[in-house]
Amino acid sequence: MRYVHPVLIVVLSWYVLAWALHSPIVPYPHLVFSHLGESLIAGTTFMHLFHSLYRILTGMAFALTFAIPTGMLAGRFKKLDHMVSPVLYLLYPLPKIAFLPVFMVLFGIGDLSKIILIAVIIFFPAAITIRDGIREIPTQYLELARAFHLKPAEVIREILWPAVLPRIFSSLRITVGISLSVLFISENYAARFGLGYYIMNNWVMAQYVGMYSGIVLLSLLGLGLYALIDFCERLAIPDAAR
Amino acid sequence: MVRLIDAQVSYADHIAFSGFSLEVKRHESVSIIGKSGCGKTSLLYAIAGLIPLSKGTVALTEGSESCSIMFQQDRLLPWRKVIDNVLLGMKPGHETHAMELLGEMGLGHKAHDYPKQLSGGERQRVALARSLVRKPRLLLLDEPLASLDEQNRERMQEVIASVVEDHGITLILVTHNIQEAIFMGSRILLMTDEGITFERKNPYHRLPEFRTTDEFFALERELRSRLGGTA
Repeated sequence: MRYVHPVLIVVLSWYVLAWALHSPIVPYPHLVFSHLGESLIAGTTFMHLFHSLYRILTGMAFALTFAIPTGMLAGRFKKLDHMVSPVLYLLYPLPKIAFLPVFMVLFGIGDLSKIILIAVIIFFPAAITIRDGIREIPTQYLELARAFHLKPAEVIREILWPAVLPRIFSSLRITVGISLSVLFISENYAARFGLGYYIMNNWVMAQYVGMYSGIVLLSLLGLGLYALIDFCERLAIPDAAR
Repeated sequence: MVRLIDAQVSYADHIAFSGFSLEVKRHESVSIIGKSGCGKTSLLYAIAGLIPLSKGTVALTEGSESCSIMFQQDRLLPWRKVIDNVLLGMKPGHETHAMELLGEMGLGHKAHDYPKQLSGGERQRVALARSLVRKPRLLLLDEPLASLDEQNRERMQEVIASVVEDHGITLILVTHNIQEAIFMGSRILLMTDEGITFERKNPYHRLPEFRTTDEFFALERELRSRLGGTA
């Protein structure tokens, strides 16, 4: 229900724009929605949606697999942090999309290069956020762990992991937007499926209604990912446990 | 039970205490009062093994595992339920004991709540249960009731006193509160920068009815004057 008003505002503004421009480049929303509905029913856009979703979810999983231990270790051990953080700071600001050709040479022109590109984009903010989360754990909890003779694995399970879990979800929320943008660009190269391909292919063929239905689907994919992250967070961290 | 000889704890910028010696016998309850910054908390942390001594020795005759500490703040993990906080770091098989302790503290029905859902007094009782579930023979209390209001503080003092007595626990309490020190300690020590400067046996400890007697107030006045102002 909380999405109804924003969606109405966007659609209304779109109608105004379409009416004002009166050009095929901005078709009316009802034309786009009806095309989207038809193509979904016919199943022609599902493969594109599925491929994009697969790439982004796998990219997220890859990124977290490396970001969680990197961030946790850097946050916990100062000496390691002194070695790792400068590397993170050096590489984080680089536009990762510039490395797409390199990834395509290294990992092939298939899904893997696109997944790794997304993973690299998510990795840096996630690792830094997790490291900061570990650093900010009140020392009183770590003292408590020592006072009660907790083993290293117990410290991770009982204190470090629950303390950084909200940070992990925050970093995912922050990176979903940029990941979708990069996904869109990467799917324009050596791809036959994916929303990026679908949108640009329709554009090249001057099928603007189809192009917009791809854009709407990409936006819905983003919305769905945010909703999924929120849902997983609520599941993992009940309100009373915050 | 505990023996400190010529102990010193120093930090990068100051010495917490120096040349400190103390012996606490089994089943004793020792209250330590002193002004802020005289090193009371550092003393407890050194006994608990949380900070190393820079000089001297500390010996716990029954080993460090026999010692449990209750901090000034409850330090309950907000992401763990009450029962899981109590069982923190414990091997499986102590759940029944933990539930019994929570029951003793009047919190059996809150075992599956989160700390956020508890009042300040309840949180402190959970922290006490967490310290006791380890069946310590030595309990170190670092101003554990400082954040509570007067009524809750007295209630908690009685809870702790009765648990300590029932379980035969040796107690070392560090506090700012002179009345608390008198109620809880069979021996009261005054700690200053020079170490223990005053020591007194207290036969009236753990007697709630003693709180309103002339002897209680006389002892409080004496300790206050020796302390020389606010603790």
